[in-house]
Amino acid sequence: MNMINDDTIAAIATPPGEGGIAIIRLSGPQALSIADRVFECAGLPPSKRAGNSFVHGWIFDDTTGEAGPEVIDEVILLVYRAPHSYTRDDVIEIQGHGGAVCARRILRRLIDAGARSADPGEFTRRAFLNGRLDLLQAEAVLDLIRARSDRAATMASDQLNGSLSSLFNDIYDNLVSSAADLESSLDFSEDELPGHVIPEIQDRVRTAAEDLARLRATWDEGQILREGALVVITGQPNVGKSTLLNRLLTSQRAIVSGTPGTTRDTIEEGFILNGLAVRLVDTAGLRETDCEVEREGIARAGSYINRADVQIYVMDASIGIGTEDRTNLERLDGDHSIIVLNKIDLGQAVEADEVRAYGTPIECCLINGVAPDGIKDALSTIIESGIPQMQQAAISERHRSLIVNTITSVDEGLSRLGENEESGVLLAANALRDAIEHLGLVTGRVYHDELLESVFSRFCVGK
Amino acid sequence: MKYGVMVIGAGHAGCEAALAAARMGVKTALLAVDRTAIARMSCNPSIGGIAKSHIVHEIDALGGEMAVNTDYTGIQFRTLNTKKGPAVQATRVQCDKAFYPTRMQAVVDQTPNLDVIETLATDIWVENGKLRGVRDSNGETLAAETVVITAGTFLRGKIHIGDESFEGGRIGEKAAYDLSTSLESLGFRLRRLKTGTPPRIHRDSIDYECMELQPGLDPPPMFSWRAKRELFHVEQSGDDLFHVEQSDIRPWRPGSDQIPCYLTHTTPETHAIIEANLTRSAMYGGQIDATGVRYCPSIEDKIVRFRDKSSHHIFIEPEGRINDLVYPNGISNSFPKEVQDEFVRTIPGLSRAELVNYAYAIEYDFSDPTQLDHSLESKLVENLYFAGQVNGTTGYEEAAGQGLIAGINAAIKVIRGTPLILSRHESYIGVLVDDLVIKGTDEPYRMFTSRAEHRLMLRQDNARYRMRDHAARIGIVDPDMVSETGRYAEQVESEIERLNRVRRGDRTLAQILRRPDMSYGELDGRDETLPQEVARQVEITLKYDGYIQRDLERIEKARGMEEKAIPEWVDYNAIKSLRTESRQKLNEIQPRTIGQAARISGINPSDIAILSVVIKRGRA
Repeated sequence: MNMINDDTIAAIATPPGEGGIAIIRLSGPQALSIADRVFECAGLPPSKRAGNSFVHGWIFDDTTGEAGPEVIDEVILLVYRAPHSYTRDDVIEIQGHGGAVCARRILRRLIDAGARSADPGEFTRRAFLNGRLDLLQAEAVLDLIRARSDRAATMASDQLNGSLSSLFNDIYDNLVSSAADLESSLDFSEDELPGHVIPEIQDRVRTAAEDLARLRATWDEGQILREGALVVITGQPNVGKSTLLNRLLTSQRAIVSGTPGTTRDTIEEGFILNGLAVRLVDTAGLRETDCEVEREGIARAGSYINRADVQIYVMDASIGIGTEDRTNLERLDGDHSIIVLNKIDLGQAVEADEVRAYGTPIECCLINGVAPDGIKDALSTIIESGIPQMQQAAISERHRSLIVNTITSVDEGLSRLGENEESGVLLAANALRDAIEHLGLVTGRVYHDELLESVFSRFCVGK
Repeated sequence: MKYGVMVIGAGHAGCEAALAAARMGVKTALLAVDRTAIARMSCNPSIGGIAKSHIVHEIDALGGEMAVNTDYTGIQFRTLNTKKGPAVQATRVQCDKAFYPTRMQAVVDQTPNLDVIETLATDIWVENGKLRGVRDSNGETLAAETVVITAGTFLRGKIHIGDESFEGGRIGEKAAYDLSTSLESLGFRLRRLKTGTPPRIHRDSIDYECMELQPGLDPPPMFSWRAKRELFHVEQSGDDLFHVEQSDIRPWRPGSDQIPCYLTHTTPETHAIIEANLTRSAMYGGQIDATGVRYCPSIEDKIVRFRDKSSHHIFIEPEGRINDLVYPNGISNSFPKEVQDEFVRTIPGLSRAELVNYAYAIEYDFSDPTQLDHSLESKLVENLYFAGQVNGTTGYEEAAGQGLIAGINAAIKVIRGTPLILSRHESYIGVLVDDLVIKGTDEPYRMFTSRAEHRLMLRQDNARYRMRDHAARIGIVDPDMVSETGRYAEQVESEIERLNRVRRGDRTLAQILRRPDMSYGELDGRDETLPQEVARQVEITLKYDGYIQRDLERIEKARGMEEKAIPEWVDYNAIKSLRTESRQKLNEIQPRTIGQAARISGINPSDIAILSVVIKRGRA
């Protein structure tokens, strides 16, 4: 029983939408007794069962009055007893049939029986407060919950296992030991100290700086994996942009017509491409227009283009390259662009080679329902190339800003050490302390004691 | 008669405590077993050094005696860390071991409101939970409103020389056994520590030409405002002129006629002898199991822990002008006498050394300092204060700093004022006290600059500015010093303002002065009329400006947490989500604020998160 988490929280743990099963979780001191109230099974009630056991039974509603108890769902109920649970509280997990309605009725029933609807992330917060997870692991769990693709899930689960923690800890330990050497050189007088150790410390700090730079680089990767790559479809009006969107999504998401300017606002949809999350955006055709709504749509298209990881520029191949096309093509980033030459069934006035300089050309005829496999392949190649092939897990935005601060401090330390003036050692030591403090915020370590311990363990001097 | 403040023990902590209380106008008694042992330098003959020097400057700025006493009895003056920047620069002074206590005793004698009582305190006299005073070995009761315990290493002190061991507080002095028992019966947790001191060598048995000469600095760097100001010094004592030097030159200029130190080192032969005799050392033979000073290790410790080092420095420090003894700094040990003779003579320059006193180790009780508040008053018994080595520290300076704070606060308690509590960001003494009462210690605690997170602001050069407001409130420093400090501070401020305003070309004078190779004295546009000290403050302040600003921002940011009180109703035992270890620590130390709790060793950020949540919701 846990005094700080003295109420019992409940939430649906599986994502909304259709699925094979729905999981409803209950955590807190009353979890077992609430389960007893709403669950019926053969044999012992949940509160009399051992931890880490499961039992088959029914969730029922006995508040229906004269009509008698009503079965809500047939479920498997799992019992975890404190502290051997995710939150270290007593936890009940109910696995019911999939579907939003059923799961919501179970949750409603639990709340009627005394539970409170959990805040977002509250299970994880309890796990953190109860010392079950460190800060990095807690964040990883949240990422895992929000992960949009399998790869993002792998990354988050690596982090959960502590691979990121150990990477941070290595850098942290290196900085602490370097700082300790510097501190010692300040706290003991010249004649008590062994010869110059500064170049050796410099080397170690430089290694830390390189590791940090690499970690920062993984942020871009992490961003794509977590949020999905932003793919923006652009082009002049009525070249088939919305058709392309529908083809890639294999649904009729966007309204298509022969009228130029049909799409006036941007449309964003997600889909999974070879295990990678993609956020696909269809934009208003780029043209001069008097229509205010359409102009606004074009402006929005511009802002998406600026943030895009990949741009797909769609052209009507039967017409040829106009002046506006030329201008638009020249703005493309060749390594991150695909040029779709559509409507080749109507004649081909543009050859793939003519546009190859601006991006990867794909010839097709979207209207005939030709599967745009070439586009998918080109897309996944470009997205993959944007992800450095690193073994380690990537970092989140909070980590990134802390790492940027750490890097600033480490760089300052290095430049002070390079000053060739002994007074630089003091300022370098201070800069490294700042760096260690920033880095400690990532993993929740406190430097002060560790630094002193490290200082004291390495010197053999008199008074 | 009843005293306001009664101080038990007249070492460096006890003297500061008694002098401060008496100077604040409170009737004070200083209990000493032997009047002639007051302010004795039981170990090395020097005051100051890195980080310790900062404490001595703060003592001076608050009205303590250690700085003045050192300057007037110093025989060698040095500045350490000269090239590493003003924040870590430190003064170290070798004192005349005979005159340091003599002068301090004279000051004690001359101070109004202060009586020395020669006796051995045996018992803290408490009735119905209320402190009444002290009982002594003669069975007398000595009434006092407040008591400051500054017992040093005397509590159940046990001296070891090789396999020989006997009771004693210092060599040749009786230990205090009854007082330990009395404290334990009041509920205080006592633990054991050990420390040691090297042998003393007759100065005529040393061959100085084999050693490296370490002369003092001229002009001598000083600690005290007074010695820097009064070039000539004559101490008044009763009707007679008492002179610290008692030499023929009088008046005498402090810092003149310095005596050099020498540097030598251990040799492979030294190490071999020590290795071969390790089992005969009291510390290694298992006679002592208390925790020693890691960073002031015995020679046995150094050789065992750092086997890859084939040589260790030894500083040969004279103990005085008249005194025949020399202190070999770096070879404290607890070997039998014959082993000491043997290994010392393998050291260059010491081949015919005559050991007058042998090295010894001492183990003693200290009282866990987490039982104290930041005023150094104990949480268990009101009006009872602890200061100095009895709190687990090592070093004269650390002792004196605490003694001053405890003495001032005991006196404040008598006159019913607000206690003097120095914060971590304004002083080293603040860092010292906070570390002791919040973190406690497992080994003799020594000050380091790395313990001070706001090191760039806590310099020895600006101690008087940092302490100015406190000094003015306590009122035991020379009023001239307070007013001069105020005047200088204003000058520093207006000069910095001017340098930020006036330009040379496209840069301000402040920007030009910030360049690493630039000094105020070379600055085109400097104010020649500024006192040298003001110019120096201006220069250092501007050079560290960016860093200090960042520090100030951090202090401001931490202020919320630092000031967030932990209410009385918080019951750590009821907060089950705290780890057992955390609950124990919090119960033991009883921090007053969240900031203090966060500094307790072993308390981690999630403990603090839990604690904050509990306080926010207003119940466990």
